[in-house]
Amino acid sequence: MARLTFITESGDNVVADDAFGTLMEVARDHEVEGIDGACGGVCSCATCHVKVHPDWLAKVGPATEVEQELLDLEDETDNRSRLSCQIEVTEELDGLVVEVVTL
Amino acid sequence: MDKCPFHDAFAEHRKQGDAIPITFDDEEITMILGFKAVRSAARDFGSFSSDAPFRVPIPSEEDVRTVRQLPIELDPPKHKTYRALVEPFFRRPLAPEYAEKVSDLIEELLLDASGKENIEIVRDFALPLQSRALTYLFNVDESEAEIWTGWGIHVFRDGKADAKDDFSLEDYINRKFDEAEASPEQPDFFSTLAYAEIEGERLTRDEMVGFANLAFAGGRDTIIQSVSSVFALFGMQPELLNKIRSDSSLINTATEEFFRMVTPLTHIGRVNTENREVHGVETKQDQRISLCWASANYDETVFKDADTFCPDRKPNPHIAFGNGAHTCAGAHHARLIMRTLLRLIADLNIDIKLIDLTENIEKQNDYERRTGFESLIVKLNRTTTSS
Ligand code: HEM
Ligand code: HEM
Ligand code: FES
Repeated sequence: MARLTFITESGDNVVADDAFGTLMEVARDHEVEGIDGACGGVCSCATCHVKVHPDWLAKVGPATEVEQELLDLEDETDNRSRLSCQIEVTEELDGLVVEVVTL
Repeated sequence: MDKCPFHDAFAEHRKQGDAIPITFDDEEITMILGFKAVRSAARDFGSFSSDAPFRVPIPSEEDVRTVRQLPIELDPPKHKTYRALVEPFFRRPLAPEYAEKVSDLIEELLLDASGKENIEIVRDFALPLQSRALTYLFNVDESEAEIWTGWGIHVFRDGKADAKDDFSLEDYINRKFDEAEASPEQPDFFSTLAYAEIEGERLTRDEMVGFANLAFAGGRDTIIQSVSSVFALFGMQPELLNKIRSDSSLINTATEEFFRMVTPLTHIGRVNTENREVHGVETKQDQRISLCWASANYDETVFKDADTFCPDRKPNPHIAFGNGAHTCAGAHHARLIMRTLLRLIADLNIDIKLIDLTENIEKQNDYERRTGFESLIVKLNRTTTSS
């Protein structure tokens, strides 16, 4: 169980307590604006893009190789970019803050 | 036939570069072919505009309709305002109740079909599925689907229903808006548009019709083709179905792979905003550009073994639904239908035997591409009787 915060593009903070599953699924359950998760988490759509808060980069870790291939197609990604469908929520990530950035 | 019809129709074309000049029904068009080139052109509305009534579809549709289709035939920022009006309808498939209705519908159709000697998938399965599911998106009574099914499968290619020459889609749509305007606002698609406002102004009737026309046209052949291809492929390659049956985690990846390989919409148009060279092809102002999704989705530099159906392909950044601001609004609905269909064919232990088929061939001077079926007859068998 973990508490997560999504900062949306319109500046809202959406807090999810007791989160489990992938970060994308949590965002969908909480109707976080800007996270569609259109492909259902299989690295096709990039509609689940987030930028990880700098303080959390080390704990969340870098994008997987498959994920990076998709991120590399986009102009507005950087080293904080992740596809939230590829991040499994764990106790470790309790307190995590991510920014939603639609591509 | 020595090669699968769903294999790459543009392999030879791509060898000539990221773009080539083609002739399409006497029109000179610059066709963009490479994955990255198509994807970035789709986002570059300053150079390649959608603000062109009748000219986004290829071939153009002056003869098929009288209104600008919305929101597709607009550029940002106006496009965004218009799309926002209908977005809540296109997001309905994300709700669990909607998914349940689609599941019940497909289960009913599959059980029905598997009780029969054989079934013609295009007219007797895909068309009713498409029509009835669209009533959920529009939030109208499911009985309305009987009318839509009655139009047959050619209605949006020539604007006419199969049986009746005097049928007009626009007349039907106008009637729906007449009815909507004569009643207080309801939460359905027609009524919502009839009462919608942009900057305090109600939509014109042409605008309402433009929205409805696209929702009917964009969602018909594309869904019918996607659904039919599932039966064709599993009929040809039963081991693929067995693979998915034994591992349900493949459903979402296999769904995306269907969209990539089938790419129901071969390409779509844009209008070139000034004289320029497009990947080496001199293109005049106002000349049309084709964004060839069907070529991009087989680009070997992005999709390894592009001619092979990989049920576990990941990543799969196909652009069957387009890319950028105009990315298909109906994609949530389409994905839900395909995932549900795969899950139920697997779970209900349905096996598919191909009996007979007639292909649809999109034939132009410069290319030939198989796009689905005129008819597809299969026999569905339930291997174990669990209910
Ligand atoms: C009109 C219906 C179809 C017909 C008549 C047809 C026919 C064929 C034939 C004859 C082959 C053998 C090709 C060879 O060995 O050279 C083949 C292979 C194949 N087809 Fe189809 N096909 C149809 C629909 C589809 C659809 C809808 C898909 C995918 C969505 C598909 C995907 C494949 C794949 C993946 C192979 C295996 C060969 C490979 O992996 O390279 N086919 N098909
Ligand atoms: C497998 C099924 C489908 C495919 C492959 C498909 C493909 C596409 C593509 C490629 C575009 C982009 C057009 C462009 O860039 O100009 C598009 C746009 C659109 N599609 Fe689909 N489509 C499908 C299903 C549907 C359905 C079911 C509906 C409606 C019920 C629909 C409604 C729309 C609309 C409204 C747009 C315009 C979006 C905009 O301009 O913002 N589509 N579709
Ligand atoms: S949900 Fe599609 S890539 Fe993450």
